[in-house]
Amino acid sequence: MSIHAAEAASDDVAYASQEEAHGIEPRRIGGTVMEMKNITLRFGGVTAIKDISFDIKEHEIRAIIGPNGAGKSSMLNVINGFYHPQEGEIWFRGAKRGPMKPYEIAQQGIARTFQNIALFKGMTTLDNIMTGRMTMMKTNFWQQAMWWGSAQREEVEHRRRVEEIIDFLEIQAIRKTPVGRLPYGLQKRVELGRALAAEPKLLLLDEPMAGMNVEEKEDMCRFILDVNDEFGTTIALIEHDMGVVMDIADRVVVLDYGRKIGDGTPEEVRANQDVIDAYLGVSHD
Amino acid sequence: MLYREAGDYKTSYVDDAQTFPIAFDRWRYYVVLVVAFAIIPVFISDYMAKSVMIPFLVFCIAAMGLNILTGYCGQVSLGTGGFMAVGAYASYKLMTAFPELNIFFVVLLSGGITAAVGALFGLPSLRIKGFYLAVATLAAQFFLVWLFNKVPWFFNYSATGQITAPPRSVFGVDVTGPEVPAWGAYLFCAVFVFLLAWLMRNLTRGRVGRQWMAIRDMDIAAEIIGVNPLRTKLSAFAVSSFYVGIAGALFFSVYLGAAEPTEAFGINQSFLVLFMIIIGGLGSIFGCFAGAAFMIMMPVLLKNLMVDGMGWPTTIATHFEFVIVGALIVAFLILEPHGLAQLWRLMKEKLRLWPFPH
Repeated sequence: MSIHAAEAASDDVAYASQEEAHGIEPRRIGGTVMEMKNITLRFGGVTAIKDISFDIKEHEIRAIIGPNGAGKSSMLNVINGFYHPQEGEIWFRGAKRGPMKPYEIAQQGIARTFQNIALFKGMTTLDNIMTGRMTMMKTNFWQQAMWWGSAQREEVEHRRRVEEIIDFLEIQAIRKTPVGRLPYGLQKRVELGRALAAEPKLLLLDEPMAGMNVEEKEDMCRFILDVNDEFGTTIALIEHDMGVVMDIADRVVVLDYGRKIGDGTPEEVRANQDVIDAYLGVSHD
Repeated sequence: MLYREAGDYKTSYVDDAQTFPIAFDRWRYYVVLVVAFAIIPVFISDYMAKSVMIPFLVFCIAAMGLNILTGYCGQVSLGTGGFMAVGAYASYKLMTAFPELNIFFVVLLSGGITAAVGALFGLPSLRIKGFYLAVATLAAQFFLVWLFNKVPWFFNYSATGQITAPPRSVFGVDVTGPEVPAWGAYLFCAVFVFLLAWLMRNLTRGRVGRQWMAIRDMDIAAEIIGVNPLRTKLSAFAVSSFYVGIAGALFFSVYLGAAEPTEAFGINQSFLVLFMIIIGGLGSIFGCFAGAAFMIMMPVLLKNLMVDGMGWPTTIATHFEFVIVGALIVAFLILEPHGLAQLWRLMKEKLRLWPFPH
């Protein structure tokens, strides 16, 4: 979906939130976008993920939580094709996905951010976000080499979209700054911008709030909710801050030792005895 | 005080993305072009052309080539000398096989042939990185030089094993062969430098350049974003080799006139070009020019200073030249590890504020 269309949609959402006051559900969570069926992932003798199934629905914010080493990041790596599970099926937008390279999956419309920031340090904020739009650029090598004409037109057209993202994330002032020089919180924001630039069908966020102070976390939460609201982007996120997860997620899947121990709305998960045991430990008396 | 962006309003993205966003820089660029294409050719002497300007221009092209690969795409190569040899032998074979073909196209085609060879030797880069890749490209260096020494077809079965450039002309002016006017050879190289620098700027400012830099900075993230690592790395190898091949063709046909692979295109050349881009600045077009100027002009300058200026014997001057150039390289790298281009950038940032500190 283009951002213009997304803006039009966001107008709808504004109406919807007015309607919310009259008791109507504002966000329309749609059908299943992605479905993981019985995924098992092994590294040699170690089973990182064991027979896990869950789905992600359109326009929802889906959180994946669990203690350290539960297999959350491995799960994201399976979704964007970095790891290939030994067993199980992945269905994306109604089609079973064969073995694909990560860049092919990116072209299908799955974008992500990383736990440890993975920006292109030598490039400016603008260039980083422009790189995010790469899969949408159509001019070939020779047109790029000539520059004048189609390549320049395309560049300007994408620059316009990127500027909208820059405005949205409120990072206008650092547009031309090499990202290596930016503070941590801003780098996280630029990384989100780079993922958004691809206009993904599914956005994966790996600990978007790790290492942030409360204020930065609140900012990031706001951006995530706004992305979901305004662009209607489906989001799957890993997060350790339970307060954040319970506040913003529509549904939560809980992993522990590579198994799924809970799945449902935040309230359901909070009440689940297995989840409480995993987080707080089981008393042995 | 002239060096300001204040008052120079950018009202479109095209304006905002131009090569020289500051008006003063644009004027300086036009002045450089006028000097390079209208003033130098009129006044250039044989000595200036042969020992300063032509090697400088040729190595500018080679440095641009290596900078595309190493500075922009992050793949280290020690095969530059070998790829220059490919360009040289390709141009020799083309010149002797198709005497009617204009030398301009001969040089371009030699670049194209080198691009294909370079892409082939770039294949290992998918599996190996960093120092290990450097060693793999070293294999290319030694293999190619060996090939041109051992297979007589490449030097047309000449008894000496040397290749000699036959005379060829552009618009009636000789650019290769024994009777070349200094300005003709100079202009011929300068045109290539101009065109290739323009091409490099185009490639590095858009999608292709961002792909290269993405692979350089964080290859895993690049792949997640949708960059195909195979195609990106091979395109960098191909474009880089295209430049290096053109440099090799010009080095042989315009500068040397006659060449023998071990000496003209040995590992020394690979290191020379690598030093140029490290001293000049990785990932910068200006850095290629600065590095080539430093490595080519500094020795000539020092020699003139010591022999003509201070009356030292040539032999001593030659030895001292090595010592001084070596010391200068070390000094520059300590002062500014990011090269002359970074010094230039810092100077420009200071200039923007000068004479007021804030």
